[in-house]
Amino acid sequence: MSAITLRSVVKRYGSVEVVHGIDLDVEEGEFVVLLGPSGCGKTTTLRMVAGLEDVSDGELSIGGRRVNEVAPKDRGVAMVFQNYALYPHMTVRQNMEFALRPLSLDAAEVDRRIRDAAGILGLGELLARKPAQLSGGQRQRVAMGRAMVRTPDVFLFDEPLSNLDAKLRTQVRLEIGKLHNRLGTTVLYVTHDQVEAMTLADKIVIMQNGHIEQVGTPEEVYAHPDNMFVASFIGSPSMNMIPARHEGGRLRADGLDLTVPTRFEGRLSEGQETVIGVRPTGLRCAEPGAADAVVARVEVTEFLGNEALLDIRIGDHELIAEIPAAGRPAPGDAVHLTFDPVAIHLFDPQTGATLSR
Amino acid sequence: MNKPSTQQAIFVYTLLGIALIVFLTPIYLIASSSVKPSPIMFQRPPAMLFEPTFEHYRDLFAMRPFGKFIMNSLVVALGSTAFSVFFGSIAAYAISRIKHKRMNDIAFWILSMRMFPPIAVVVPYYIIFKTAGLLDTPLALIIVYSTANIPLTVWLMKGFFDEVPSALEEAAAVDGHGLISIFWRVTLPLAAPGLAVSAVFCFIFSWNEFLFALMLTGSEAQTATVAVMSFWSSDAVQWGRIMAGSFVILIPGVVFVLTCQRWLVRGLTMGSVK
Repeated sequence: MSAITLRSVVKRYGSVEVVHGIDLDVEEGEFVVLLGPSGCGKTTTLRMVAGLEDVSDGELSIGGRRVNEVAPKDRGVAMVFQNYALYPHMTVRQNMEFALRPLSLDAAEVDRRIRDAAGILGLGELLARKPAQLSGGQRQRVAMGRAMVRTPDVFLFDEPLSNLDAKLRTQVRLEIGKLHNRLGTTVLYVTHDQVEAMTLADKIVIMQNGHIEQVGTPEEVYAHPDNMFVASFIGSPSMNMIPARHEGGRLRADGLDLTVPTRFEGRLSEGQETVIGVRPTGLRCAEPGAADAVVARVEVTEFLGNEALLDIRIGDHELIAEIPAAGRPAPGDAVHLTFDPVAIHLFDPQTGATLSR
Repeated sequence: MNKPSTQQAIFVYTLLGIALIVFLTPIYLIASSSVKPSPIMFQRPPAMLFEPTFEHYRDLFAMRPFGKFIMNSLVVALGSTAFSVFFGSIAAYAISRIKHKRMNDIAFWILSMRMFPPIAVVVPYYIIFKTAGLLDTPLALIIVYSTANIPLTVWLMKGFFDEVPSALEEAAAVDGHGLISIFWRVTLPLAAPGLAVSAVFCFIFSWNEFLFALMLTGSEAQTATVAVMSFWSSDAVQWGRIMAGSFVILIPGVVFVLTCQRWLVRGLTMGSVK
């Protein structure tokens, strides 16, 4: 039985439809991340699951029970808000007690749960403080503690790290991951940050313009993107896209002439337009005269430590290559590059869909 | 901000001094006249040094039931304040939270209740309360004052409710709380400064009101403001008692404001979101 099920779920504000009939299954104990650019409908979707937005159409179930008409308080979910939403007039302990009050537990159980959560999240010292006396990271942990004590069936996270600075973000991200491993509760997590998504998720749901573009494990969406949007959204720097044409068993574009990788043989018709996608790591420096080598001019080099990024130009296409930093060329140099055949993706320029399937 | 220069400080303190003189002189005159022996009351220049006497205060409470009138004022002012703040807050919450294109019109309509000149409705009120048998009762004044206090409270509280982040209410809803619990335990405590401000305004208005109290009450429900006026008769103006009565009237207002003052704090929602 799935923990959360969405069937053709639609959200409309007046006549404007912002979520277009999405289907999604979140399994028991799974950590699912909704990922997409701002305005893609991911937060709206999460808020529908929480019950803070009505479902305009379709069916939403939690734990096998239809909850379209169920009030938020009766859904058995707990939510961590982007801005934490701590009750400012209550201490940390009172914040957690307030979340437990509707459960009508006895005092000893309330105390035990608060102590457990405080122990896990390191809030022991802070229980008597008010939110105004806490740092951003501490507030974030209190917000998680307040969600945790209710031992909900489902945790909902709405961009919980976006208000933290970079260092703290990494730390809290690890804590969230550990927390999930420890509690094993189903998590639905919204973010626009692909690093958060890749590191935390069992399953990533990539959304754009109110549609789900792809659902898969981090490895799947990275290595086998379904379409050009997913391919360019996942990965940093993003995938290079080169419009090309299939001619006589070769892929041709301005300044480029590549052998069709064997797995695409028979999938392309003569003269077919296509888009070559290749990640910056799929480009290799090669000796002059290597098979399929192309000549590129280096415009800018960016030294990152172990690797360097090269902004290069092939014909009239600007690409980015990621190569070992040692022996990197200088700006203005001409280099020979080969495309790793395994790293080549081909997309339909009209639909954006991959040609791998 | 930079530390103010000496010149700036002198300027600010001069202004403060003038303001204090303007506001405190009448109070000084009331206080000093209330303990001035009658023969030297109108001496010119005014006597600054004299043997204080409490005869006016004795007369005030001995010759007329002034304590009863003070009680009437308290009942009316506290009653109208409680009534107005309670119902005004609930109405303000609805106006603040319910999104409807006509909501602004409703809010304006409520405010417009305060726009008519009181003298225009005194006679209709008199007839209504006479018919209802409520003339010369505190209830009549509580009702009349509330029609002025509720619009004020609604507008004040709407502003304060608008400031409470909706994320807090959403968090409480997901935490398992219903509407009443959210309003009572989250929203209202965070709007406490608004409650204090509203209560102060309602109390002061009701406590000081004269016109309706004069027209709608007789000997039973007369309030202190009207009672003080009764020392001004056709035979004589008993200034000493008027001043003593006025000074007594000042006290409850000051006490009430000081009581509410601890809620008049800013930044109550600090640390809730971000």
